[in-house]
Amino acid sequence: MKTKTDFPTINERKPEGVREDGTPFRVLIVDDSMFVAKQIGQILTSEGFEILGTAGDGAEGLEKYKELSPKVDLVTMDITMPKMDGVTALEKIMEFDKGAKVIMISALGKQDLVKKALLLGAKNYIVKPLDRKKVLERVVTVLKK
Amino acid sequence: MRVEYINPFVEAAFSVLREVLNTELTRGELFLKSSSQPVLGVAAIIGLTGEVQGRVLFDMDAKTALAVASAMNGETLTEMDDLAKATITELANMITARAVTKLSELGFDFDITPPAIFTGSNMEITNTSIESLIVPIKMPLGKLEINVAVREKT
Repeated sequence: MKTKTDFPTINERKPEGVREDGTPFRVLIVDDSMFVAKQIGQILTSEGFEILGTAGDGAEGLEKYKELSPKVDLVTMDITMPKMDGVTALEKIMEFDKGAKVIMISALGKQDLVKKALLLGAKNYIVKPLDRKKVLERVVTVLKK
Repeated sequence: MRVEYINPFVEAAFSVLREVLNTELTRGELFLKSSSQPVLGVAAIIGLTGEVQGRVLFDMDAKTALAVASAMNGETLTEMDDLAKATITELANMITARAVTKLSELGFDFDITPPAIFTGSNMEITNTSIESLIVPIKMPLGKLEINVAVREKT
């Protein structure tokens, strides 16, 4: 198979997670499911994003955001979590940093909460099950805004 | 138990499993159980509250659960560790959330509780006041039984 000529094109594609200057976009993942956190982490790191931190509930997420700010370029925020839910954590992050870019991660059936989150300043949302294309598309759109 | 409650769970299970496992599935014969029954080995349970109450149990043997968790993670998991449990829990969550969305479109309004997962052998589940309907789903990785027990709030 004469594939030689195809390879350079593939390799030239710039990973989505890297800025023009070569530095990665940095992400904070807030999710109480180890599985979902790992899945998001794998999708994003495979495109060159840097996972700056993860948190297992909203309270920890808020704390980590404050601690890591202003290094965090993007937060992925689960909605249903123990201690502090994602919508409350989002609200508190927006109070702390008006420019925060937060994407909500939701199971189907939480439309009311997603709507509330968008009104509170969430930049977008992703409905589970997550797939690579969907996650990257939403994340990149938010970062470009 | 009204059959309207069941179909959304079957449809949701099929669509979610197809998405996350990328595989073909077939449905076995539905059957009703009103007394005790054995649990296969790994069972995720989610409660339903609201106009309708009850619970849904996603039951698999340990080998199937590990195979499903491995496929969803894209790596081979060798034991039911925290990651494997979190994966099966999330699967149960996604299916139930999708079913509840379909049910709310049909006018039944209820919410789901956070999932829990049981693992072990020689377990059985007994419903004292609700009969349960079992939906067996055959996957290339093994069998999943969705055990739905719901009733209208009295």
